[in-house]
Amino acid sequence: MERTPMILDIKGNSLDDGPGIRTVVFFKGCPLDCAWCHNPESKKTGREIAFDRKECVACDTCMDLCPERALSRENPYFIDRERCTRCGVCVGGCPSGALSLVGREMTIDEITAEVIKDRPFFETSGGGVTVSGGEPALFMGFLSGLLGSMKNNGVRTLIETCGYFKLDDFRKKIIPFADMIYFDIKIIDPADHRRYCGVSNELILENFIALRELEATGGFTLLPRTPLVPDITDREKNLRAIADFYRRHEITRAAVLPYNPLWKEKSERIGESEAAVIGRGGLKWMKNETVIRCREIFREHGIET
Amino acid sequence: MNVSLTDTTKKRETDAVVFHSYRRNPEEKAPGQFFINLIVNALLRLMAANFNLRPKLRKWLKGTDGWINFTVGIRSRDNSVKQSIYFHEGRVRALWGIRRKTDTALVFRTPRMILKMLTVTPDEMMIMLVESRMNTEGNLAYMNLFNFFLNLLMGKSQERYVAKKIKLNETERKKQAPVSEACHRTERSRRRNTRISGKRVDPGVKHLADPYLPEYGLEDFPRLEKLHDIAFRTTPKICHERPKLLTDWHREHGFEYDREGKEWVPELRQAGAFKYLMENRKPVIWPEDLIAGTHGTSRITPVCYPDASGLTIWGELFSCRTREILPYEIDDESIEILHHDVFPYWAKRNFREWVREEYHEPLCMKIDEHMAAYFIWKTIGMSETVPDYGRIFDLGTRGIVREIENELARDSGADEKKKHTLRAMIMSLEGMNAYARNLSRRALDDAGREKDPVRKAELLEMAGVLERVPENPPETIREAVQVSWLTKVVLQMENSNDGLGFGRLDQLYQPIFEKEIAALSTDEERESYIRKVIELIGCLFLKATDHLTLNPDIANHIFGGSPPGQTITIGGVTPEGEDAVNDMTYIILKVTELLGLNDPNVNARFHAEKNSDEYLRRCNDVNYITGATPSLHNDIAMIESLSQHGYAIEDIRDWSATGCVEPTMVGRHCGATSAINISIVAALEMALNNGYHPLMGWELGPETGSMGDERFATFDEFMKAFEEQYGFLIDNSVDYNNLLGLMYQKYRPSNLMSVFTRGCMEKGRTVVNGGAQYNSTGATCIGLADVTDSLMVIKKLVFDERKLSLWDLKKAIDGNFSMDAALHALVTTKVPFFGSGSDEAVDMANRIIRFTHDRYTARTNYRGGSHHTGFWSMSGHAAYGRLTGALPSGRLAGRSFTPGLTPEPNASRSLLDNIRDVAKLDPKCLDDNIAFNVKVVPSAKDSHEEAVNQIFSYSRAFFTLGGMQMQLNVMPTDMMRDAMANPEHYRHLLVRISGYCAYFVQLDRDAQLELIERAEYGI
Repeated sequence: MERTPMILDIKGNSLDDGPGIRTVVFFKGCPLDCAWCHNPESKKTGREIAFDRKECVACDTCMDLCPERALSRENPYFIDRERCTRCGVCVGGCPSGALSLVGREMTIDEITAEVIKDRPFFETSGGGVTVSGGEPALFMGFLSGLLGSMKNNGVRTLIETCGYFKLDDFRKKIIPFADMIYFDIKIIDPADHRRYCGVSNELILENFIALRELEATGGFTLLPRTPLVPDITDREKNLRAIADFYRRHEITRAAVLPYNPLWKEKSERIGESEAAVIGRGGLKWMKNETVIRCREIFREHGIET
Repeated sequence: MNVSLTDTTKKRETDAVVFHSYRRNPEEKAPGQFFINLIVNALLRLMAANFNLRPKLRKWLKGTDGWINFTVGIRSRDNSVKQSIYFHEGRVRALWGIRRKTDTALVFRTPRMILKMLTVTPDEMMIMLVESRMNTEGNLAYMNLFNFFLNLLMGKSQERYVAKKIKLNETERKKQAPVSEACHRTERSRRRNTRISGKRVDPGVKHLADPYLPEYGLEDFPRLEKLHDIAFRTTPKICHERPKLLTDWHREHGFEYDREGKEWVPELRQAGAFKYLMENRKPVIWPEDLIAGTHGTSRITPVCYPDASGLTIWGELFSCRTREILPYEIDDESIEILHHDVFPYWAKRNFREWVREEYHEPLCMKIDEHMAAYFIWKTIGMSETVPDYGRIFDLGTRGIVREIENELARDSGADEKKKHTLRAMIMSLEGMNAYARNLSRRALDDAGREKDPVRKAELLEMAGVLERVPENPPETIREAVQVSWLTKVVLQMENSNDGLGFGRLDQLYQPIFEKEIAALSTDEERESYIRKVIELIGCLFLKATDHLTLNPDIANHIFGGSPPGQTITIGGVTPEGEDAVNDMTYIILKVTELLGLNDPNVNARFHAEKNSDEYLRRCNDVNYITGATPSLHNDIAMIESLSQHGYAIEDIRDWSATGCVEPTMVGRHCGATSAINISIVAALEMALNNGYHPLMGWELGPETGSMGDERFATFDEFMKAFEEQYGFLIDNSVDYNNLLGLMYQKYRPSNLMSVFTRGCMEKGRTVVNGGAQYNSTGATCIGLADVTDSLMVIKKLVFDERKLSLWDLKKAIDGNFSMDAALHALVTTKVPFFGSGSDEAVDMANRIIRFTHDRYTARTNYRGGSHHTGFWSMSGHAAYGRLTGALPSGRLAGRSFTPGLTPEPNASRSLLDNIRDVAKLDPKCLDDNIAFNVKVVPSAKDSHEEAVNQIFSYSRAFFTLGGMQMQLNVMPTDMMRDAMANPEHYRHLLVRISGYCAYFVQLDRDAQLELIERAEYGI
């Protein structure tokens, strides 16, 4: 049976996820486990419940509603995740939206209807839909159907992927409907990759090379992107290795994504402790000088970022 | 013309004296009223003694026509405090109690507020008035005079108080930007200096190689730079010239009756006075001028119209010099002339007082004077139109006079009224010619004295131009610009300087431009000609800054920074429906970019099927550079909207924005487009309170049920109550507008305006008498988004989901949600608002605008025309917001409504939802246009070109979706914060309020905060 993703969010009017004005569909669930993950709520495939302390008006309606008695002000995270069955009853009763469901099931038609509302803006700006995550290729069949539906409606498509997928499936089901692919190349050293991203990168690099070869005939454009994370991906050795890798495959344009720690709050909302957060990714902002230095490394290799 | 009044007004008119049934007095009979009576009496006695005993004060009691006699009553609403002061034949007496007939009375909500009044400045007294802590009864001019007397007595202490307040406000403003972001201060020049190029794609553009004209900067035009600097650095100065000359003439020739004691024919009286005014005005030419003609004897003149709202400045003649916002200069001589000679003559001769006198202060007028439900612009003027400049361009005044004479000769059956009207038109044109001749002579005299040969030549040329025009049609751009300006000056000498547009200048000037440039043979000549045209248009723009509306301080707060609203409209289609964009369109855009002025108010029409994207992109570019102008209009939607009235299609296609954004069919349409400003929210508050208006403290509307009643079993029943209250206010607003209109017919028929409005000559009736080819009245309705959202809350939570009762909601509102955090969270997060992408909310908004439109169009105005409805707010959203309690939508008491019909900032996180929802409103109901204000911030990493492309994408898509109008503030909120804290760096910062532009640093603090709080969208 084909797996159906939870949709984390559909965000209109995005200007940072490809050319023009774009609508971004976020899938929930990712095969990687990057320490710095910007969308921590998109890692797990299943539904979650988030609690936003800032929005809470302390009316305590939810406490009486919870069948498991999992909610308590004594608990610094408010929700006892062990007890919580994610039934969502508390969310229904919350007046302020402090409690919310993360992830909802949507059909392809529902998503399409939501996205094509923005078509006039795609047309005037050269934008379209961006499918992101999580990892959209985790749900290859659904993704294929969604992209097909988009193309049928005349919407240009872009997929943001971590590159961890079965190539054959991707080639058959995704490439025919993809106008652009944003492909993350994070770390070249396999051991480091396993350490920071939870899996080895061999499959990822193989897939990238394969897509690069397909690009000439496949009707899509490929843009590799590297997140610049302080003390992890921004090390000179790593960046030089990435740049070398690009040069070998005749890449002349790539993107860098300077890291910011804004995801911390999102993590807390789904119940991760601050200590865990700091332990994994660090909370440093990327310095502007560092970004310039990183870009310089790519430029030396003849790669525009 | 008979004016039908609504039943409610008729009914209440009969017992006008006792209709005030203030039911709920917020303060129980306070102990110590006797004590307060005593204090008030003692203070009034003290005042009287001062005026009786000190000759320096006593001299102010006298006017040219003798002692100024009037009585002022001061009382509390419950009548427990009642005192009066009596000015009679040079003596002043304080009286215990109130004489039966006072000219004017101050009525305080509570006795204690009387004590407070005695310690405040005149402007604060006006604020108390606006906030309904007191209201007036009777003649407002005398109330202003009383304020003037108070200011004479207490001026020094009031000045100290104002100075202290200014200091305090400064400190508050500084708090806005604890860490000043100086980086924003260079943003303006960065945008001005990185100019982009365009392509010549519009068929009408024949002579501009690059229509974006990126080669020119302001520094290339030293004259414009100089004039621009003067416009920003000059303090406006009140000048007595116009009111004094008019008063002189009327004192000699009579106002109501002529010297023989015969009742004056209004047209002939006004024409005689106008001609005298124009013949005797001082011809003023400033050293940098290429175009002649002024509104007064000072560089920037706030023009005084004593028959309209001119007397509102009476109380502030001294204190206006030291006020915080937009202070005026005024000579002592002018104060004496205005106080002794001019104002007493007009104290009972102005539109308000004529209505009060003839209709016994009707209910519809009292509502207006409580200031919280509607405001009728006719108390200020009705010049918001676009006259037929084409007529003078085709014929010159000489040709027009000949046409009028021919009409007189042709129409043998003309009635007396027509004969008088046409004769008055000719006299008015003679006045116009006389003024032009005086200016020409003056230019010649100045040239004779001039040492600098360059300036001498300019003055001689000016003299020559004014010899030929306006008597003959203009043949060069130089002459055209002179005719445009002169026509506008004289029309504003006759009528108020409020909302009188320049029209479609690109259409008017292009034929002359083409003729002139075709005669040139080399590229150098053509380049130099284009440069000259830019300079001339720039001079016209800057000339338009030579006058302001004369605002008492309260207007600075209510109509924050609003200029005279001199619209210029460009682009769109021709009357034949073809692409109208031409060379002059781009030249006007260039001038708009170079000068970045709030007025003239530039409006760009965009016809998606006829105009090029290149043209729209240039409008976006100018918007980006100036931050706030031009505003963008969807030609297709506007034409569709106007088509419902049966106007000829070629006339509709010739529409021009007026005042703020409202459409006028150029030269043939008396649209009084901003006549009525009404708060939809006032009706909602009345529906929630069974007809009672909480801030006014007034049992005003029909009893439609209390929130505890069982009668509200369904949402529709509540909606009915709302509509009943709203309809009640609408009807009264129409009544008052019509009564004021009748007074215009009697006292200010506007002969010259009628020369410039087609239909008037043939009908032999002036514009206010229905002479125009098309007649309508504009009503703009404020608070649409707030009311829609509130009704959505009631519908969803009370009726659909039954989550709370009306009564609970009402209790929460009355407590400003202070005890109901959960309920407040619920209404603000769980109900789909207008702008969120919810069809249900859009339906609700459409339901409201349809009701509005149906109700207004069901009524006929005093000229036999219909009504147009609009949803833009000028600054009424902030002003009315201050006067409104908490709303079901969760908006807290006193907070601003959203500007125009802009969705509430939290309605959606996506600007696209806002845009889509606004575009879904039924254009039929928007025939007086809308203001959709969006604040966008280009990303710091975007280049000029990228930023412009982004803005283009949004506006182009908005028009594809059918949206009618859009106005963008293109600047980060932090820039406004820095400007609040450091105004000295932001003298030029232009912002879009709602329909019009203002300079940010000239706004009052609430208006500044409202702009800051608007949703900001990164682009």
